[in-house]
Amino acid sequence: MQQILLNGLISGLAIALLGFAFTLASLPTRVFHLALAGIYTGGPFIVWWMWRTSWAPFWGIALALASGITLSILCEALNHWWLERKGAPDVLHLLSSLGILIMLVQTVAVMGGNETHVLRDGIDRVYHFGSSQLTRGQLITGGVSAGLLAVFATWLRFSRLGLRLRALADNPVQLALFGKNVRSLRLVAFAFSGLLASVAGILTAYDIGFDAHGGLHALLLGVVAVIVGGRYTWFGPVLAGVLLGLIRAFVVWQFSARWQDTATFAVLVACLFVSPQGLLGRRTRLEAAS
Amino acid sequence: MNYLLHLGIYFFIYAIVAMSLNLVVGYCGLMTLAHAAYFAIGAYTYALLTLNLHWGFLPACAFAVALAVILSLAVSLPAWRFRGDLFLLISLAMQALVFNLLCNWTSHDAPLGSWFNLTNGPFGIPGVPKPRFFAWRAESPHEFFLVALGLASSCSFIVWRLVSAPWGRLLKCLRDDELATRAIGKNTRRAKCEAFAIACGLSAVAGALYASYVGYIDPSSASLDESILMLSMVIVGGVGNFKGPLVGAAVLIALPEILRFAHFSDSVAANIRLLIYGLILVLIAHLRPRGLAGEYRPK
Repeated sequence: MQQILLNGLISGLAIALLGFAFTLASLPTRVFHLALAGIYTGGPFIVWWMWRTSWAPFWGIALALASGITLSILCEALNHWWLERKGAPDVLHLLSSLGILIMLVQTVAVMGGNETHVLRDGIDRVYHFGSSQLTRGQLITGGVSAGLLAVFATWLRFSRLGLRLRALADNPVQLALFGKNVRSLRLVAFAFSGLLASVAGILTAYDIGFDAHGGLHALLLGVVAVIVGGRYTWFGPVLAGVLLGLIRAFVVWQFSARWQDTATFAVLVACLFVSPQGLLGRRTRLEAAS
Repeated sequence: MNYLLHLGIYFFIYAIVAMSLNLVVGYCGLMTLAHAAYFAIGAYTYALLTLNLHWGFLPACAFAVALAVILSLAVSLPAWRFRGDLFLLISLAMQALVFNLLCNWTSHDAPLGSWFNLTNGPFGIPGVPKPRFFAWRAESPHEFFLVALGLASSCSFIVWRLVSAPWGRLLKCLRDDELATRAIGKNTRRAKCEAFAIACGLSAVAGALYASYVGYIDPSSASLDESILMLSMVIVGGVGNFKGPLVGAAVLIALPEILRFAHFSDSVAANIRLLIYGLILVLIAHLRPRGLAGEYRPK
């Protein structure tokens, strides 16, 4: 039981990190940043490629994070901002983001192949905690995810930039009327979103491996966490991500790993019917929310 | 010649899918990602009925349509309450549930097609027979082309009659302002259920046609990628009129084939084709937001 809880907690923190990355971009800008799945896939590929060409892992990770930030900023600067200026509907943001995702995934597949890679050699080291055991990959994933979520929670709550981002999420028009630079704030939101997605990708790649096409599935788990936790809340996705991780771990324990996704989407449907505003969201009329 | 016939058959199959999806996306204004699930339900139903019970094409197809129509309630009933991205996520959940069911409804001990091994999991169902009408079977590509042409024409005629009728205008009306449509006494909930039932039924016909043509069906036909391809056909072609989805299906079927002539290396050709396909989606969003032949800009 303790082992199931620990496994669920760690995979839940990874889902929460990606869900929070998605929220960072989507809540202030209302853009469904689907291309984040491509950035999630691209980060591990860069680390793997540099590691294979005898660079120290530090440089690979640094380049991957820088690329994640740059790609996410480019998505906003070259795509979503222009669509926003034209008053494009949400579906066009989604469609263009899907196009960017396909381009990123195929670029990774062309350069790194379609097969699965792991960012380590051999079997991972195992640590024992009472009757439970965790791999080094799990410990790093859990620790880094929890640390980053705590850092960003503090930053959003107490920093001036965090306050502006929250204001942008609340009412972008009023913020612009107060003379704040909405465009640069949107770029900041996308930059941090890309950073966190890259970190989530690298952590998962170290723990269980990665392939060019796995990003969309991972992002969808994050999006489910966002909906279940509350689309218009900053920390609902974190809570829901951890809950989803626990539920998925219990499904593996009681049934089989192959029913994990069924359980995840059943939770999503149940949540949408019972509480469409999410766990931490404020109750509003559906017409207002959609 | 056989290659052109093959492309023509694929075009007919996806034209049925795109036209049916347009009823929901273009006329009801609801984005859905569940359409591939109904396509797969049609394909699997046809495969199981023809392989296990030796039904002919038309009865198997009719049963597939009936099943898809009943299961369409899984997305049409939520459509009473949800719109926009919430409805998109409901449809995504439906797609994921069907995909998982197709992948996991299998048991190594049970024979293929039995209750415990209905879908054969990721290995799929091989040996799906070609369409049989009484004593005649469409074996050659020419014969199958005629069958596909006949079915696609029939489906087009049905869709064209529906969208030209007052029922089509009712759908457009509820798309543009559901509250006003209800205020003038129209039953929008029933109209949505009917639109979904017809769209899912037509998608099941296309699925049955696909399974009988390829001779094999596996869960990838219900995958999210397939749903995205179908949705892209409608949006690239343009929604809200009759010709848009046909243009979209033609473009997205022809595009990978045209790119074959670019002589990319075999190992990366498929990836580069998809990369260019992604680029086209971005360009469509920026340069032709109404699609290549559309009249309604999706919300």
